[in-house]
Amino acid sequence: MGEVEKTFISGLKEKLVEEKVIDESQLDRDFAKEITKYGGKDVMTCLQCGNCTGVCPISLKIDYKTRSIIKYCQFGLKSYTLGTRWVCATCYRCYEHCPADINPAEVMIALRHIAVREGVIPPFIKVAATNLVRYGQSVKPDEEINKIRNELGLEQVHSSEPSYKKVLREIGVLIHASKYDKLIGIEEEVKI
Amino acid sequence: MTSYAYFFGCVIPNRYPGIEYAVRWVCGKEGFDLDVMDMPEFSCCPVPGIFYSTDKNTWLLLAARNLVLAQEERRDIMTVCNGCLTSLLKATEYLQDPKAMGRVNRVLAQIGKKYTGVPRKTEGRRKVFEPVKVRHYIDVMARDMGLETIASKVKRPLKNITVAVHYGCHYLRPTENQTIDDPNNPVLIDQIVEACGATPVDYEDKLDCCGAGGGVRSHVVDLANSLTEDKCKNISAVGADCIVTGCPFCLLQFDNAQKTFSKDGIPVMHVSQLQALSMGIDPISLGFDTHHVSAHSLLRKLRGA
Repeated sequence: MGEVEKTFISGLKEKLVEEKVIDESQLDRDFAKEITKYGGKDVMTCLQCGNCTGVCPISLKIDYKTRSIIKYCQFGLKSYTLGTRWVCATCYRCYEHCPADINPAEVMIALRHIAVREGVIPPFIKVAATNLVRYGQSVKPDEEINKIRNELGLEQVHSSEPSYKKVLREIGVLIHASKYDKLIGIEEEVKI
Repeated sequence: MTSYAYFFGCVIPNRYPGIEYAVRWVCGKEGFDLDVMDMPEFSCCPVPGIFYSTDKNTWLLLAARNLVLAQEERRDIMTVCNGCLTSLLKATEYLQDPKAMGRVNRVLAQIGKKYTGVPRKTEGRRKVFEPVKVRHYIDVMARDMGLETIASKVKRPLKNITVAVHYGCHYLRPTENQTIDDPNNPVLIDQIVEACGATPVDYEDKLDCCGAGGGVRSHVVDLANSLTEDKCKNISAVGADCIVTGCPFCLLQFDNAQKTFSKDGIPVMHVSQLQALSMGIDPISLGFDTHHVSAHSLLRKLRGA
């Protein structure tokens, strides 16, 4: 797990220990507001009780503490939390145990919204979004599986049928309207 | 009688077609003979770990498009996946807000669609709309069909099989949306397993996450697998013959992760596959050859009964 920690928690703790003193210029005063803009609740009302970390299945495995992430959000240490938010399994246990009703899982989701807008986009997001535009599904249809579908007497996955073109066009229109293709950088021309 | 629309999502048709076969078989003429139809125009729900996580506007538009299709047919959506359930259910909640609905409909107009919900009754001149109903296969089976009916359809009780049930996070939480089962003490899958003649066994940390959700599997597969390993240790400790879940993504995680830490592994299957087995289906139709963990040991035990 050490390797995973190094790669995905991006030395959060080390960074804090090394720098010790946090320069005021590092603080983003509107960070809490930005989080609420993307559907997270006000992190300033967090009591820092640590229940969320206690019930988090991920925090058992790596040095990822939900409570600390919320604390950094309170401080406005935006850059410190880059890269940490993609390890949340969105199991919503923290939400069920939060006495302040913060819903930390939704804060993580808001942080992902912010990360994507800062250009931190993990490759799997691009792949899934491209699959959706191309096939109407986030999982790429598989030839071997299609053979088995045939043997079972199931129809081929719709995306290969000409009648499915209308569906793909509609998806294209919606994705283009919300500018998601630009945001994520979908590697497929969105046809309208 | 309620009418339904199948919503298989992405993982089942493209990775585990045996689940699709089982669900169609159980709901079809051989089984419960439900009023259920295919909606080939359904797209991805869209998957919450990707779209809900990165842009809620896009997520809501794509989900609303699916909801409109069901609304036009006046059918309940029957999902077979926890991810589809949570995504579509959450979308119906978001669309309860008139502002959100207006925003979505302005874009949906570009593709000639409009979400209103389903008209249920009229009060004077005013039509009262209800959100499109999003149901889980388990919910339909345990509540609409009932456990007694499930038991009455069993032709080959799975007598000597012990089952470890995994519910999956998005079947239980967030509790403000999900009301299918008791989030702290869920029982429905266990009851279905029992109705099929098998014995559900409890194990430590039964309600824990499989590790795959929220993009963790796609992003840090080792981390996801280590969570699954913990679960599998607890399941092995009680000697269960197989793992049964209602979510194909949890199934995929259990199925794929086990090859990284154990030689044989515990067979994993979807509730519908277990039900179909108890109802006398030929196991060859359940597509177990697409599963990584072989189901041979389990099927041998069944034959020996």
